[in-house]
Amino acid sequence: MSILKLLNVESAYGPIRAIRGVSLAVEKGRIGTVLGANGAGKSTILKTISGIIDPRKGSVEFAGSDITAMDPADIVRRGLSHVPEGREVFPLLSVRDNLLMGAYTRTDRDAAARDMEMVYGYFPILRERAHQEAGLLSGGQQQMLSISRALMAAPQMILLDEPSLGLSPRLTREIFEIVVRINRERGTTLLVVEQNANMALNVADYGYVLENGRIVMEDTCERLREKDDIKEFYLGMKEAGARGERRWKRKKTWR
Amino acid sequence: MNLWDADKLQARQDIVLAGETIPALFWNGVAARSARVLMREKKLGLWRAWTWAQAGQAVREIGDGLLSLGFEAGDCASILANTVVEWVLADIAVLSCGGVSNGIYPTDAPAQVEYLMVDSRSRVVFVEDDEQLDKVLSVRERLPLLERIVVFDTEGLRDFSDPLVMSLAALRELGRSHASTHPGELDARVAGCRPGDLAILIYTSGTTGKPKGAMHSHAGIVYTVRGYNKIIHQDENDERMCFLPLCHVAERVGGEYFAVYTGSILNFVENPETVPENVREIAPTVCTAVPRIWEKFYSGVVIAIRESGRVQQAAYAWSIGVGGRVADRVLAGQPVGAALKWQFALARRLALDNVRKLIGIHRARFLVTGAAPISPDLVRWYLALGVPMVEVWGMTESCGASTYTPATRIKPGMIGPACPYNEVKLDPATGELLIRGRNVFMGYLNQPQKTAETIDADGWLHTGDVGMQDGDGYFRITDRMKDIIITAGGKNITPSELENELKFSPYITDAVVVGDRRAYLTAIVMIDLENVEKFAQDHDIPFSNYASLARAPEVQALVAGEVDRVNAKFARVEQIKKFWLLETQLSAEDEELTPTMKLKRKLVEAKYADRIDAMYAA
Repeated sequence: MSILKLLNVESAYGPIRAIRGVSLAVEKGRIGTVLGANGAGKSTILKTISGIIDPRKGSVEFAGSDITAMDPADIVRRGLSHVPEGREVFPLLSVRDNLLMGAYTRTDRDAAARDMEMVYGYFPILRERAHQEAGLLSGGQQQMLSISRALMAAPQMILLDEPSLGLSPRLTREIFEIVVRINRERGTTLLVVEQNANMALNVADYGYVLENGRIVMEDTCERLREKDDIKEFYLGMKEAGARGERRWKRKKTWR
Repeated sequence: MNLWDADKLQARQDIVLAGETIPALFWNGVAARSARVLMREKKLGLWRAWTWAQAGQAVREIGDGLLSLGFEAGDCASILANTVVEWVLADIAVLSCGGVSNGIYPTDAPAQVEYLMVDSRSRVVFVEDDEQLDKVLSVRERLPLLERIVVFDTEGLRDFSDPLVMSLAALRELGRSHASTHPGELDARVAGCRPGDLAILIYTSGTTGKPKGAMHSHAGIVYTVRGYNKIIHQDENDERMCFLPLCHVAERVGGEYFAVYTGSILNFVENPETVPENVREIAPTVCTAVPRIWEKFYSGVVIAIRESGRVQQAAYAWSIGVGGRVADRVLAGQPVGAALKWQFALARRLALDNVRKLIGIHRARFLVTGAAPISPDLVRWYLALGVPMVEVWGMTESCGASTYTPATRIKPGMIGPACPYNEVKLDPATGELLIRGRNVFMGYLNQPQKTAETIDADGWLHTGDVGMQDGDGYFRITDRMKDIIITAGGKNITPSELENELKFSPYITDAVVVGDRRAYLTAIVMIDLENVEKFAQDHDIPFSNYASLARAPEVQALVAGEVDRVNAKFARVEQIKKFWLLETQLSAEDEELTPTMKLKRKLVEAKYADRIDAMYAA
């Protein structure tokens, strides 16, 4: 069953249409991913889902109800949290306060306290730094905090925008491992937007490829990994040409 | 100029440039027009001109370079590149050496490249860039005759070295030093080139079997371009757009050699995808293109108008109506009254001039369409804009145009009378169109049997097109002889008529109508991705990829509507009962399409046989 459904969503920044008729769905309890180059419109999709941008057309459905153009806070209350690109932690607040901000929409204080323990379990470093200003954390730690802050809203689903941005390959792997654990252990549905296609295709179940604001391909990640276009353009794998190397790119066919 | 005074498009009967071979024409042109512009190309966003003198210098260096490599008169060199300036330079250099020049489509796969190189016995191949180079290198073991690969653009090849491969710049360098020790050798080759010699090979796309290399002599080509100027005159003040593949007869003879003869300027587009932008920048005064391009321009306008406001839509509707009435009168040979002329002047100001500008044909004296059948409605639309659209018909083997519709008497749907420089008649027995004249080719390379099947004892070229002729001597093509469908009911059907009507829809790029020995007709349809995507978005139809778009019920209904519109023009037995939309987006690299992006009938029928059968299953 799909927990999130986008139907022909079109969003624009002034005259520039960033996404042009995107339809996608994420199954409950699964990890979905949207791959695409810089400027393809990946982040715009997430912002449209979480209500930061109102779409010009189309609809967003979450857990059976229409959340199109709803207030972002209401969307969070319904169980959909957004981890924005570039972390966006509150730099002058302590780590703990940042986490409490994540629980802002909640009324169940006890459960929130338990969730605080839960995120400290996933990311022990945050407990050590609990009273430090978030702005002093390393990039990887800020990413952990950002994900944890989203978890503090006890969401059914998390939108994860470019978690690997600016992180070392090792840290990226660690974060993705925990993301998968969160998904498996808590049943949290995830929609991950990534430029690191290799990582995203390894952890996600189902993927969409976005080019110039349109979806050009969709399939299970297992099958996507075998597609020639994905191999060449997203995974950087090329069969060697006659000269042993190949600079030119073949034309994309998306099939 | 307006449609009603198309007789101002005077033909030139005199010879504008002396020379009986292509190199003679070119070098006489260099002498006569040295400071004038021959070509323009867009580099890093700027248009750069090549004067005749500059082109002459480059051709001389390349030619001398080939001589230093031991390239003999009669040797063949192939060119594997998109339509770029260097293509023309290399081509004329090869011909100046007395060599034979052969073009290979840049979309061809390595195996096809190998076949053409072996069949043409190419000793040298010019390739555009590393991508094309890789194709040749991957089959080099099977090309024993190949001695040199010359690369136009060496970007990405800095660390690559191979005794077989050199850059065009290095070849020119070789040429410069060769010229200092062998002055006059290239001029002697040019002078030694005889009109009857084989000049170029043009391989036919080969929808059935292996491609065949059509041989054209210098004399045949020179004769043809002189003939062209008698029907569609152009001169040194004309701007042309050079964008179709130069391996194809239309751009090679009708573009390159015709421009060498007349001195018209060849403006090269950046790449095949930028044609719509480039045509607006160039604003050609003479524009030759294939129906697919005209369809694309038309659907672009139709879509733009649907997007516009009510006032603009009304202005367009009224204006195109006035234009249509003008065209009707001109086509009927009736005078256009003062009131209608006045209305048309208003229509131009109101909408039509802007439509022309939107396409980029606002400076065009006339348009030429050819190389494939075109929908008569589409011709009428361009005429309604007030621009004469001349249709030419011919084939590779007749060196391009053999019939044409004079701008003063256009009959949409008809290909016109024979061009004055050749004879065209119907075979009394079969209705096949036959061509005879000095423009007819020398035969197929290495295939005397096929040549004998094509040119009969009296010198008539059998075209394979079946048609009829009206009282004015105008021909009408009903179909390719081998494409005619005979339904199970015994009805003869010409699929191309239906297909052309379908292609007139902005939502349909191409179609193949099937039904030979079947109970009814069906069609395989390729949708126009851009326009159908837009339709889907405008109507909130969810889709993710091409296949899901093609399968969307609303898109199926849209195409069904277009098919019904076409069906309404035909008798019941000639109507398409079912259709299937291709579910993969095809590109020129795909086997289903010819390099000019037409669906290959036989291949499509074979490849999608199960889909076709499904349309006939109960």
